[in-house]
Amino acid sequence: MFDRLRFVPIRLLQSIPVVFGVTVVVFFMVHLLPGNPALVLLGQSATPERVAALNDQLGLNEPLWDQYLTFLGNLFQLDLGQSITYQRPVTELVASAVPITLSLLAYALVLSLAISIPLAALAASAPGRVRDAAVRAFTLLGQGMPQFWVGIMLILLLGVKARAFPVGGYGQTPAEHLYYLFLPALTLAIAMSPTTIRSLRASTINVLGSDYVGTARSKGAAGIPLFRQHVLRNAAIPTVSIIGVNLGYLVGGSLVIEKVFAVPGLGSLMVNAIFARDFPTIQAVALVVALFVVVVGILTDVVYTAVDPRVDLASQERA
Amino acid sequence: MTRTTRTRYAAVVAVAAVALSACGGGSSSSSAGGDSSEPVQGGDLTIARAADAISMDKTTTFDNNSIYVMQQMMQPLFTVSDDGSEVQPLLATGYEVSDDQLTYTITLRDDVSFTNGDPMTAEDVKFSLDENTATGSDGWGFVNAAIDTVSVVDDQTVTVALKYPWAPLIADLSIFANGIIPADYDGQTAEQFYEAPVGTGPFVWDEWQRGQYLKLTANPDYWGDAGPYLDSVTWTVVPDANTRKLQLQGGQIDIDDTPDWSSFESLSSTPGVTATAFPSTRMDYIAFNQQVEPFSDVHVRRAIAFAIDRESMVDAVLYGNGEAANSLLSPGTPYYDESVEGPTFDLDEARAEMAQSSVPDGFSTSLLIASGDPNQASVAQIMQSQLAELGIDMEIRQLEPTANKQARLASDFDMTISAWTMDIPDPDQWTSFAVDPEGGSHSAFTYWDDQAVIDLNQQAQREIDSDARQDLYTQIQEQAGESAFLAYLYYSPYAYAMTESVQGFQVTPLGNYPLAEVYKTP
Repeated sequence: MFDRLRFVPIRLLQSIPVVFGVTVVVFFMVHLLPGNPALVLLGQSATPERVAALNDQLGLNEPLWDQYLTFLGNLFQLDLGQSITYQRPVTELVASAVPITLSLLAYALVLSLAISIPLAALAASAPGRVRDAAVRAFTLLGQGMPQFWVGIMLILLLGVKARAFPVGGYGQTPAEHLYYLFLPALTLAIAMSPTTIRSLRASTINVLGSDYVGTARSKGAAGIPLFRQHVLRNAAIPTVSIIGVNLGYLVGGSLVIEKVFAVPGLGSLMVNAIFARDFPTIQAVALVVALFVVVVGILTDVVYTAVDPRVDLASQERA
Repeated sequence: MTRTTRTRYAAVVAVAAVALSACGGGSSSSSAGGDSSEPVQGGDLTIARAADAISMDKTTTFDNNSIYVMQQMMQPLFTVSDDGSEVQPLLATGYEVSDDQLTYTITLRDDVSFTNGDPMTAEDVKFSLDENTATGSDGWGFVNAAIDTVSVVDDQTVTVALKYPWAPLIADLSIFANGIIPADYDGQTAEQFYEAPVGTGPFVWDEWQRGQYLKLTANPDYWGDAGPYLDSVTWTVVPDANTRKLQLQGGQIDIDDTPDWSSFESLSSTPGVTATAFPSTRMDYIAFNQQVEPFSDVHVRRAIAFAIDRESMVDAVLYGNGEAANSLLSPGTPYYDESVEGPTFDLDEARAEMAQSSVPDGFSTSLLIASGDPNQASVAQIMQSQLAELGIDMEIRQLEPTANKQARLASDFDMTISAWTMDIPDPDQWTSFAVDPEGGSHSAFTYWDDQAVIDLNQQAQREIDSDARQDLYTQIQEQAGESAFLAYLYYSPYAYAMTESVQGFQVTPLGNYPLAEVYKTP
């Protein structure tokens, strides 16, 4: 098993230029935006002289290359700089937002699997029949509805009408977090499940027609035990990669959902930082998201190897 | 919209309102704080707003979300009255002015303590005012530009010596940036102190999870006669206006800061919810860049100012919750003169002005607005169709909000929409910014330069007698209106929605809301 994970350190090495590239692109792109933090900080009292003075004080009049090298130098010491808006370490702000977004994403993943696996199994058990058509209609609907709209509808139905869940926010204790994050996670799960269901349904139908399932059936296996022991693991192989790719996109989706549900995660931090031209914070969040996507990519491959013993990514790396 | 259709529209709304209230039963009134019952002790108040505070440093923070919080902890010597028309003593008991108008002697209350237990003395006052003055143009120090020295006479008396006679001084001392804190930051560095500030106010610092919530708790030893009644106040960050509205309707929050005008009506008809429009000092206007032709021509500016149908804008943008603007000053600002006749909607007058102008056949121009602001977009669309009647082809130019500010500062615009809200209960802060090219902004970025008005403004700064000052500010308002260097649009109030259990919540025209006397009924 460990032998087959030898590709992980290689992938990690390969991801260094990717993350480095992201810092370069983000750094120079945010500085291309017109406007600067002083304009935002000074509000209606901003005059050209006062803006210039404050920018000078913030070190924003230095040449861009110098600013970038300073940023990179600090990065090697794991220092992401000071947030211009809050005048405190960016690491502190990011550290409080990362767990929130990560738990939201993990929660969404669990919910989406809880929705997808039974529905895919239901559809695949009788291809072309009414329940299959119903599941496929659900996936079309799920894909067609914009995320923010689903979010608002869930708030209206479960938050305002039924009062079963809070309307946005994050709560203060772990139990409250689970409770508060349910609706946003469900929204993301609904957005994520259609592709998972379709992929899982197709591969399940495929697997159900294979010889080894026929053999298992002849030995008396049926129903849920058959599905769990013989079908799911094999059918899941293509779906694992799809979920991995989707998780990357989901980070983007969480930006919108965090706003609708007032979840103080990375998305909210990023959006506010962009409006405030809080350059160090924008860079830090971009860096964290890039790292996240890279790690999810590697983890997907690890899971893939674990689910399917035939896959040997380590030997592919060598080839 | 013409006048007749507007009347008809109003009639339909009135009928609909009667019908709704007949079947709705529990629809609420739209006045807050009018409850005469006894204040109730206890309870936690939650206020949701679009953005977080950014800093508690009163001398260098320009952000309202921060200011409204720090004002609950740190109090100035004087404060504005509820209607914004005058300045009253708060930590001071009164003041005297010397004959040469260069020395103010201020006496302090002797019963005020900081929340760390120390009594407030003249030393603390001197330290606090000097601290703000020292920030100069990097902070609110510019407000104290007229102050030469602050001296301690005895524990309860300070004198403020001025460089030149300066009428707005007492109003300037009422700004939050001149709030009183313990001398020498209570033995800490400024940075440490403002992490958890100490003042004399009804609430004390508790906790701040940046991006999530900020919480203050009641000061049990508050010096004031009334309050605080609440146990705590928490400001939460809820960026989406729709989510704030739903949280209020779902009972998750007590106060929704700045609901959209489009949802204001539906909020005020929600049972158990009160929506209130508090008079403000905000004035929205169109600025003409006089460096760009033909805007140096007064007839062009006047033509546009006459062509704007302000009443339609109040209906379309504010859903009727505001007033067409007639003056450079807003009704919540001292020395506002309601008799001043700024240009009002009159197409014949507008055509006559165009005929006299350098471009009688019209011209092409653009209006700079901030993207994502539905109010500015509506104003722009209304203007576009109205200016077309004068042969003016107006393009709407949208820029992201910060890029929009940058363009305004660089005078990279033909016309733009902007707004001003007072921080000080004295017109000078705004008039010096707007009419004096030396005020730092080239006359609100218009490059208007009228010596007669500049002189009037400087006289008003030095005139102590309030009748004489009124006369000067009336002249400024008249001449500014005639020159149409800005086309005033409307005065919009501050929108708040709250549950009916919230009592005594009042917003002053400056936008701040003292929470000492707010309470919640069970």
